[in-house]
Amino acid sequence: MTDQLTSRAWTDRVFKALAELRAQSGNSSDKLQTEQREDLDRLISSGAALEALLSHTDAKDWQHDVRNVLGAMRGYAELLLEDIGDLLPLLKASLERVLKAVASATDGGSQPTRSRATGGTATLTGTILAVDDSADNRDLLARYLTREGHTVLLAESGAQALALLEEHPVDLVLLDLIMPGMNGSEVLTRMKAHNELRALPVIVISGQQDMDGIISCIEAGADDYLFKPFNQTLLQARIRAGLERKRWHDREEQYREQLERNEQFIRATFGRYVSDEIVANLLEAPEGLKLGGDLRECTILMSDIRQFSSICERLPPDDVMKMLNHYLGVMSEIIMGHQGTIDEFIGDAILAIFGAPTSRADDADRAVQCALDMQQAMNDINRDNREAGLPEISMGIGVNTGAVIAGNIGSEKRSKYGVVGHHVNLTARIESQTGGGEVIISASTLEKLKGSYRIGSSKEVKVKGIEEPVLIYQLLPSDAGDQP
Amino acid sequence: MTLRILLVEDNELNRDMLSRRLTRANYEVFTAADGATALQLIREQHPDVVLLDMNLPIKDGWTTCREVREDPSIAGTAIIALTAHAMGEDRVKAMEAGCNDYATKPVDFPQLLEAINRLAPKAEQT
Repeated sequence: MTDQLTSRAWTDRVFKALAELRAQSGNSSDKLQTEQREDLDRLISSGAALEALLSHTDAKDWQHDVRNVLGAMRGYAELLLEDIGDLLPLLKASLERVLKAVASATDGGSQPTRSRATGGTATLTGTILAVDDSADNRDLLARYLTREGHTVLLAESGAQALALLEEHPVDLVLLDLIMPGMNGSEVLTRMKAHNELRALPVIVISGQQDMDGIISCIEAGADDYLFKPFNQTLLQARIRAGLERKRWHDREEQYREQLERNEQFIRATFGRYVSDEIVANLLEAPEGLKLGGDLRECTILMSDIRQFSSICERLPPDDVMKMLNHYLGVMSEIIMGHQGTIDEFIGDAILAIFGAPTSRADDADRAVQCALDMQQAMNDINRDNREAGLPEISMGIGVNTGAVIAGNIGSEKRSKYGVVGHHVNLTARIESQTGGGEVIISASTLEKLKGSYRIGSSKEVKVKGIEEPVLIYQLLPSDAGDQP
Repeated sequence: MTLRILLVEDNELNRDMLSRRLTRANYEVFTAADGATALQLIREQHPDVVLLDMNLPIKDGWTTCREVREDPSIAGTAIIALTAHAMGEDRVKAMEAGCNDYATKPVDFPQLLEAINRLAPKAEQT
């Protein structure tokens, strides 16, 4: 705390320099003019004044008095230096050492650091609550802080401070330690017990050199401290540091909230359609998710129950719903098990995507395996249906691979993640070519397959809107799954 | 013409040092150690520039300055506040009390001379 003139390292330097000067003055005094000799005597005797002050550090205005003595020393030393010029080099060197020693006492005071302190502070301002029971101190702080560009709130007691903190967003608190009623450390304790105030930076200000009080405040959670009368530069620096901490904390908080919102959004958007694993992947790397809509290659799977409309007509609505929901439930599980995204249920039809929102190298393979597993599962579904006295059903699946636009489709009020594009329509055409129990894949899907599958017959189909006929292949169940 | 400076400072060492320095710099210097004496001297002597410490006994610098401004016979007196420590508040208060300029202690002498010379022509005109 050299700036507050409490450090004693500088006093040693000053006294040493003065002793040197005294020795030097004996050699030089006969070469000095009367006035200069007087100046020198006064300079040396001001050392005695300083010594007297140092034995009464508890005196009122002590700092002020010390500054005055140092100011006088500096003045005499400068005066002598101007006068003697280069005539007495030894005396000159000695005077310069005195000046240096005096300057070391006031380092951190106003002049030496002023230019540095005003550099970056202007940009970092905030709302500061100054708590002090002295109206004068509040007034000083308010003026000073306002001039520095801060917004200032004032409280004259701990209770008022806490009330203000409840009502106003504050970036930093300057807290007087000793106040009647609730004192500073009690205010601090209450702030730290308060969920929303806990992170608020607090700079404790003590009127006395009360280190114990300061230490207990820092233990209670104060970020920084100052002794009165504090110097402007130091106050500025500590406020700045406090505001920076607050800013980082706020940013962290915002970022965390943003992440939470993203997570909620992703879960709400995808949770129903994709597997937990995909949701987890998205949450891990949300930047990989472009919801604005992007063109990407996907493998599209579309399934449909044969003659479902006519089955419906013969069944009571409750049974239709029961059967359909059971079927869709089983199919959803299988699709999600293969990390597919269910885009849509269109009545009894299912549109699922492999490769959106996250692409993988084996999108086509997973889609095809998924289709086979879905067909396989029909055995179980029909067994359940039989047991429930419901009709057996059969399903056809079309699989196609191509570029689609994936993204959030809809309006502000109602939107969902999905895919659109020519290849979605083509998949529907392919699926319409299937019979019950059949899986048909396009040539583009076949090209992408890495695993080995049993391919049956192929044929060309004309698709509306495409001149060239499309080559499609029948996909047969693997041997292992080829049970009766 | 020699500028006449009233130095108001209660600290003896400082008062003595500054008055010697100013005299050496060819100013006519007279001194006061409190605000009340300072006011009296300003009324009687009409100094060109007043160097006014703020923490003065009997009448502090701020009050002294305000009273100078309120007295039409001496209201135009050029006053430079000598503010204690590095407190910005002191300076603001000094300027608000009507001081024309300020110098922070420990005084930087060349800067103080500059301030005096800046204000002196103004003082001569009034």
